Amino acid sequence: MSNILVELSNSLAAATEKAAASTLLVNARRRMPASGIAFAPDLVLTADHVIEQEQDITVLLPDGTKAVAQLAGRDPGSDLAVLRLEKVRATPAEPAMQASIGQLVLALGRPSDAGIEASLGVVSAMGGPLRTPQGSIDKYIRTDATPYPGFSGGPLVDAEGQVVGVNTSGFGRGVVLTIPAEYAWKVADQLARSGSVKRGYLGVRSEAVELSEAAQKELKRKQASGLLLVSVERKSPAEAGQLIVGDILVGINGQPVPDHDALFAQLTGDVVGKSVPMEVLRGGKPLVFMVEVGARP
Amino acid sequence: MKATALLNAALDELLERIRPVLALVSNGRRGAGAGVLAGDGLVLTNLHVVGRAHTVQVLLEDGSRYDAPVIARDPHVDLALLQIPANGHPAAVFSSSRPRPGELVYAFGHPWGQRNVLTGGVLSAVTSLRGWHGEVPVLRADVQLAPGNSGGPLLNASGEVIGLNAMIFGGDQSVAIPASLIQSFLAGARKNQRMQAAL
Repeated sequence: MSNILVELSNSLAAATEKAAASTLLVNARRRMPASGIAFAPDLVLTADHVIEQEQDITVLLPDGTKAVAQLAGRDPGSDLAVLRLEKVRATPAEPAMQASIGQLVLALGRPSDAGIEASLGVVSAMGGPLRTPQGSIDKYIRTDATPYPGFSGGPLVDAEGQVVGVNTSGFGRGVVLTIPAEYAWKVADQLARSGSVKRGYLGVRSEAVELSEAAQKELKRKQASGLLLVSVERKSPAEAGQLIVGDILVGINGQPVPDHDALFAQLTGDVVGKSVPMEVLRGGKPLVFMVEVGARP
Repeated sequence: MKATALLNAALDELLERIRPVLALVSNGRRGAGAGVLAGDGLVLTNLHVVGRAHTVQVLLEDGSRYDAPVIARDPHVDLALLQIPANGHPAAVFSSSRPRPGELVYAFGHPWGQRNVLTGGVLSAVTSLRGWHGEVPVLRADVQLAPGNSGGPLLNASGEVIGLNAMIFGGDQSVAIPASLIQSFLAGARKNQRMQAAL
């Protein structure tokens, strides 16, 4: 019997095989091993939270070769880490730069030497930015494909076997999210080059507050809220940039900042060390200060 | 025709092919399991569905009902074989191809006693499980199963039996005994039968 069901089944199995060739077992914790994705012949992307030891990390390649790997960099903020292979070479995965809600996806993992494991689902939701326990990610994907134990660091793949993102349960509360490939590959590049991901730092504590009609009139735009600075750390970038307690931060770099998520989205690694215009309301009047953004310790 | 309509038609066809070879197996106590017609009046099911009974009740899709003796059992692979009169019942086709992770699979059975329920997913892993009698090769799938699915077939997209559903983990992960083990169990049971007939 050959029909569309068989064709669909064959292409899902083929997609699994293709992506399985780039999916490794990562052994860097005492409990069950986790998974990783080869994104260059000598580089493996995995989840940061599965790296519980920085020494004696081993990986198992799809062909059954066991190899030693060095930690090249890690970023707890996005729960991503990069391992470097020394003597062996892996087959790099192909990233898929787009995902759409409802599309068929497979979650893959290699938690044991018995072979690849898969589960089927769809892309359920996409969103972001998201604040994580130790940082933030720009975008995330949610899927209803079952994440089996040891799937963290493994790929979510589309029907062509291209990697849509990296699955992780590392953001807590039992929630499994997928970090989109486009973002994950960018972070992985930075980690491979410099060992860490820079994030911007101002040194303020703030609270979201409503903006009055009068304040919005002064701003000459509709913006329902801003961030009231409730403390400014001593010797911080904010203090050096003349920001004071009581200022309401309403914009950075020409972009409105109505809430904390918008602030985090602006404070990326790209702005570290740069002088960036900060728009605040002080005494009801808009003012712009140039602040040289620091790197988050 | 649109792909979704073609898919639905193909699923209907699969269901029509498999429905006549699915049995309901009851050992007279609470709960029931499923079974698969394997030809010559042989009905394959899980040993844990049969329990210690020597005879169980088999109900077929056409409404016929039999008291079936248990003629072979293997606790190592959780399989049992029942005998009903061999009067022209259809038989399931067992897959001889290598199972592939990611391929579409369907479980067919009687979850919670509801008759002839099909649930779908993909083959998650071709692996093994440490049982009471050592390592057993198994297939894992992400199909929804419930009590009453035991002994029922795990099918591939062509409607061939690739395994017999035997266990449930956490509601959305099933464990099936692979067709290769079923085939050797069947071969062994048939050989014993011939030897007994010759005595």
